[in-house]
Amino acid sequence: MALLVVWQLASLRGLPDYVLSPIDIGRHFIAALGTSELYIDAGASLMRAIPGFVIGTVLGVALGLAAGIWKSFDEMLSPLVFLSYPVPKIVMLPVFMLWFGIGDLSKVLIIALACFYPSFINAFYGARATPRILVWSARNMGASQAQIFGRVVLPGALPLIFAGMRVSLALSFIVMFATEMINARSGLGYLIRQAENGLRFDLMYVALLAIAILGYAGDRLLRYSREKLLPWEGGHA
Amino acid sequence: MKRLRPLILILVALAAWEVAARSGRWSKIVFPSLEAIGKEFIGFFSRADAWEQIWTSLYRAFGGFGLAAAAGVLLGMIMGRSKLVAEMLDPLFSGTYAVPKLALFPIFIFVFGIGSLSKVALIFLECLYPIVIMTYHGAKSVNPVWLWSAQNMGAGRWQILRRVVIPATTPYIFAGFRVAVPVAMIVVVITEMISSADGLGYLVIYSLSSLRTDRMLAVVVIIAIIGYLLDKGLVLARNRLIYWEKLDTYYV
Repeated sequence: MALLVVWQLASLRGLPDYVLSPIDIGRHFIAALGTSELYIDAGASLMRAIPGFVIGTVLGVALGLAAGIWKSFDEMLSPLVFLSYPVPKIVMLPVFMLWFGIGDLSKVLIIALACFYPSFINAFYGARATPRILVWSARNMGASQAQIFGRVVLPGALPLIFAGMRVSLALSFIVMFATEMINARSGLGYLIRQAENGLRFDLMYVALLAIAILGYAGDRLLRYSREKLLPWEGGHA
Repeated sequence: MKRLRPLILILVALAAWEVAARSGRWSKIVFPSLEAIGKEFIGFFSRADAWEQIWTSLYRAFGGFGLAAAAGVLLGMIMGRSKLVAEMLDPLFSGTYAVPKLALFPIFIFVFGIGSLSKVALIFLECLYPIVIMTYHGAKSVNPVWLWSAQNMGAGRWQILRRVVIPATTPYIFAGFRVAVPVAMIVVVITEMISSADGLGYLVIYSLSSLRTDRMLAVVVIIAIIGYLLDKGLVLARNRLIYWEKLDTYYV
């Protein structure tokens, strides 16, 4: 808050044109909300980020849990995943553009790829960290394999799965934005690029604010569902 | 046979690639053969500027990461030891955590120019978050019993910080570093792909525009190797420094 006030005060004393005051940004943003342009680009961005995030996390969590439970599956899959984990996935974008075209498909797939890793690794460690005693006692009390998974392994792994999803969500926005800046004909990243080329600083800040709001809203939504699903874990993430 | 199991999937993937490349169904541009990529990979190092390009990217990544490490550990420590500072700064960091800082890049270009400075500044910003958050978390959760015993034995504030708080926080700091290093690599490649005339990210985009996919994939392999080595180096440094607490090196 104090930062915003200092920024506004500094702008009163005159700043270069590429720095707008917070009040100006707010005014432009409200004006942009009245036009359809912003919604179209924000929609185009979300149409890439959301399917990519869903595909990547669902695959990551499912395979991660499977690798955490079955030893032989783990031995086959995990070396490949952990070997390629520190590699920046965005370098695959040009390759994906060649294989899947320059349209939305290559963007959705690269977002899915980036989201896969944190989800996989967290689900894997979550499932592996299930206390043996809990599994044994469940088995002793006559629980079936499916029951043990549903009642013991999954709830135990959920906190870590959510932590992984939170990282994946932030990554999906970064990658979405990067792909749109590198090559796209719509979306918020494209809007910022256009504004930059046209020296439309007001539009640049509007697009920036829109991305910030979307990222923040997604994070809040995730935290909210975590609190609903994991009441025993407490609120802080 | 059992020891070969980890290799199976990697070999299958490579074999599938080679079969696809040689089947002739796709053009050489879409699926260059492993042989062509290998040749380009070796050819890359005979380029006059090969090491210069690698160094340019590394220098940007390390510059941003180093600054973020210094500032982030300091900020996180202060936040962890002072409730007042934490209450002021924590909302700022957790509120803007999920916002992609990459969106600031066009503005950074205007403020810092199109050279290395805007890239280093962006890498600094992206790396700062995980480091500050992990350090803060670590410094906050130092076992109070240790602090009390140090106090009881007559340690001064400075001694407590140096002998108790810093060693207890180091594992968390390294956890933050391990998140930040791949982030630095990602951001350096992205920014070089978006706007640059040198560095590895630029070479990727340049090779793609010249339809030299084999050369592009060779650069991708180089970036992958660098990312992998940096992570391994960090784990090695961590286990040397924090010899009393080994990392769960099951795979990672």
